[in-house]
Amino acid sequence: MKSSAQTIRTSKVRKFIYSNNTVGHVFAAPFIFGFICFSLIPILTSFYYAFTDYSLGSKTSEIVGGRNFAMLLTDDIFLQSLGITLKYVFISVPLKLAFALFVAFLLTRKSRLVTLYRSLYYVPSLVGGSVAVALVWKQLFARKGLFNSVLSDAGFSTINWFGDTKLALWPLILMSVWQFGSSMIIFAAGLKEIPTSYYEAAEIDGANGFQKFFRITLPCLSPIVLYNLVMQTISAFMAFTQAFIITQGGPNNSTMMYSLYVYNQAFKYNNMGYACAMSWFMLVVMSAITLIIFKTSKMWVFSEAGE
Amino acid sequence: MKKKLISIFLAAGMVLSLAACGNETGGQESSAGSDTGSTQESSAGSEESSAQESSAAPEADGEPVTLRMAWWGSQTRHDITVEVIEMYEKEHPNVKIEYEFFSFDDYFNKLKTLQASDQVWDIFQLGGNFPMYMDKICFMDEFIDSGIVDVSDIPEAYLQITQDIEGNQIGLSNGLNTYGIAYDVDMFNEAEVPLPTENWTWDDYADAAMKIMEKTGHYGSSGLSSSEFIAGCSTYIGQQGKVGEYGFFNLDLTGMGFEDPSMLEGYIQMRADLIKAGASPDAGAEMEITNIENDFLVTGEAGMTWVAVNQFPTIYDICKAEGRTLALAPLPRVTSDGPSGAVIQSSQMLCVSQDSEHKEEAAAFISWFQNSVECNQVLQGERGIPVNNTVRDSLKANLTEGQQIMYDFVDLIGTFEVPEKVNVLSPDGQDQVVDKYRNYIQDVVAGNMTAAEAAQKTYDDAAAIFN
Repeated sequence: MKSSAQTIRTSKVRKFIYSNNTVGHVFAAPFIFGFICFSLIPILTSFYYAFTDYSLGSKTSEIVGGRNFAMLLTDDIFLQSLGITLKYVFISVPLKLAFALFVAFLLTRKSRLVTLYRSLYYVPSLVGGSVAVALVWKQLFARKGLFNSVLSDAGFSTINWFGDTKLALWPLILMSVWQFGSSMIIFAAGLKEIPTSYYEAAEIDGANGFQKFFRITLPCLSPIVLYNLVMQTISAFMAFTQAFIITQGGPNNSTMMYSLYVYNQAFKYNNMGYACAMSWFMLVVMSAITLIIFKTSKMWVFSEAGE
Repeated sequence: MKKKLISIFLAAGMVLSLAACGNETGGQESSAGSDTGSTQESSAGSEESSAQESSAAPEADGEPVTLRMAWWGSQTRHDITVEVIEMYEKEHPNVKIEYEFFSFDDYFNKLKTLQASDQVWDIFQLGGNFPMYMDKICFMDEFIDSGIVDVSDIPEAYLQITQDIEGNQIGLSNGLNTYGIAYDVDMFNEAEVPLPTENWTWDDYADAAMKIMEKTGHYGSSGLSSSEFIAGCSTYIGQQGKVGEYGFFNLDLTGMGFEDPSMLEGYIQMRADLIKAGASPDAGAEMEITNIENDFLVTGEAGMTWVAVNQFPTIYDICKAEGRTLALAPLPRVTSDGPSGAVIQSSQMLCVSQDSEHKEEAAAFISWFQNSVECNQVLQGERGIPVNNTVRDSLKANLTEGQQIMYDFVDLIGTFEVPEKVNVLSPDGQDQVVDKYRNYIQDVVAGNMTAAEAAQKTYDDAAAIFN
């Protein structure tokens, strides 16, 4: 009797341990823990701080209501940084996606070296937002850096990349385009999924390469384009390392990215409350743009299931 | 069965990788452990000297104590500071010092986050911007009274340079310092510009910079942007009127020290003109200067630069190794018979933190750091001319050429007429003012703004700190 109760209990425990839900939660636990401690709680507290005059130095903070948000409207540098970030996003994301798609398309050929090339092209993304790459970039575009010495050897006059307010953003955009690897991998996976029978049928009908690309490849790939577009847009809005390491926002705030300005306000100028308000404003802007992308996606994303 | 095997392998793999991660930190710990082990060994080996030392430092046999310390500076400073920390640990086997070092900007970013989380290093370095961190500073007075900190050999005047307005001892100064212009003698000669004199003016300075640019193709003047505001802009105000009549901020740091924004105009115009003409680095080139060791003067691309004079011996040695000669001139004046605006101040100081659990041990280290001849033989006044008389005399006995120039220079500045009271402190909020001020200068260069407008805006920004 007793032993059967025990077996029932152990089998219940077994059942609990082996159930898919338990296993799933146990494996997800580290992430959930990390998310709550290092994302959710800071996010919520930052929402509270956005309505206070909190600064890192002073222990006390007073609730100031919407003052931080009102200040945003009169802050020239804030408006400027918003414009610069939008410009950065709207130029760098399409360029990066186009380049990623181009390279992924080239690498669909059947060749043994394709895997090697794919890994090679992925390397810049692996080292991603790292400080080291930014430092290399800074050197490349320096007054006597590689690009300028090539220019002067070729007989052209050198370009003052980071000293000219009109030019300074471009090296940063180029750096982001250069890190096209993760989009490329996703594109490459998507390209493989397109049935070859479509292309064969098109060839029989006499379609040329352009027609095949624009009539078959792009429509079939459009869900993946959407995914990449959303992810890259979001990450472009958060671009920080390049501006922080290479230009520190200069010259004359012409590369003052939004997140860099948030950082400056929070840590350099000691206005944490104001910085929190800026972050929340950015969240609204980013959500709005993502929403627009999703809403318009119905018009251009092709779904095989049909309506 | 097969599945089970695979899962076991996977699990084993995970455990291994976890262990590998763990190992890294474990490895560090053990190496730290072996470090202290070796120091104990060597101190036991030289029984005589350790006996001597323990008489000098009675707390040597105390409880094991770990102190955290941080500073900012150049590579030279990092190397020598680590060396003296190891010396101290050898003398005091119970004390272990964990150190961190940063560049100037990174240091203060880190300090601010530590300040917010009440974990400021036990021993930390501060300069004239200490008012921002006041609530984290443990005043030295109690340690001086109790004899832990020995100030018997430090003149009263040099204690005062690290006191606040109420006379609390904020910290002990790491050294005396003042700003000057370091210049390349050969480049001046090549450009046929007269060498700077004791009372040269900003006009002479701008003229020299322009001529050097025209004749040699190099920048006339360069400079770390972090020094420029204090060495240039702020000093320029102090040089106007009578000695001590004006300062950028007032003496008790509650408002502006001058009323007419147009007093800034001449300086801003000059800076903009030099940048526009290419005689001074523009914003892009300035970004390439990350510390004094790669300043354009040091790399041979500029004729002059600002320095805090404690930086001079380092760059003098670098340039000498390349066959170039540097010299040091006072900051130019507004008028050659007007006030010099020069101030001898504390370069930085070491402070004890309020968050420290071992304040007395931290204070004892600071006392040793400033007073020990042996320690300062290693430090070599890299942080500024030592304030302790014995230490200073012992260093003076065998100076390098660069150090000799620095000592002579500080003596020279000492002969200038100085106001009775000066304020060398920076109020909370100055960083933003300075960043904006630099952008205004760029606006003047680009022609978007006149110097008068830039002066007015800078004044308004600075005055807004106190509202």
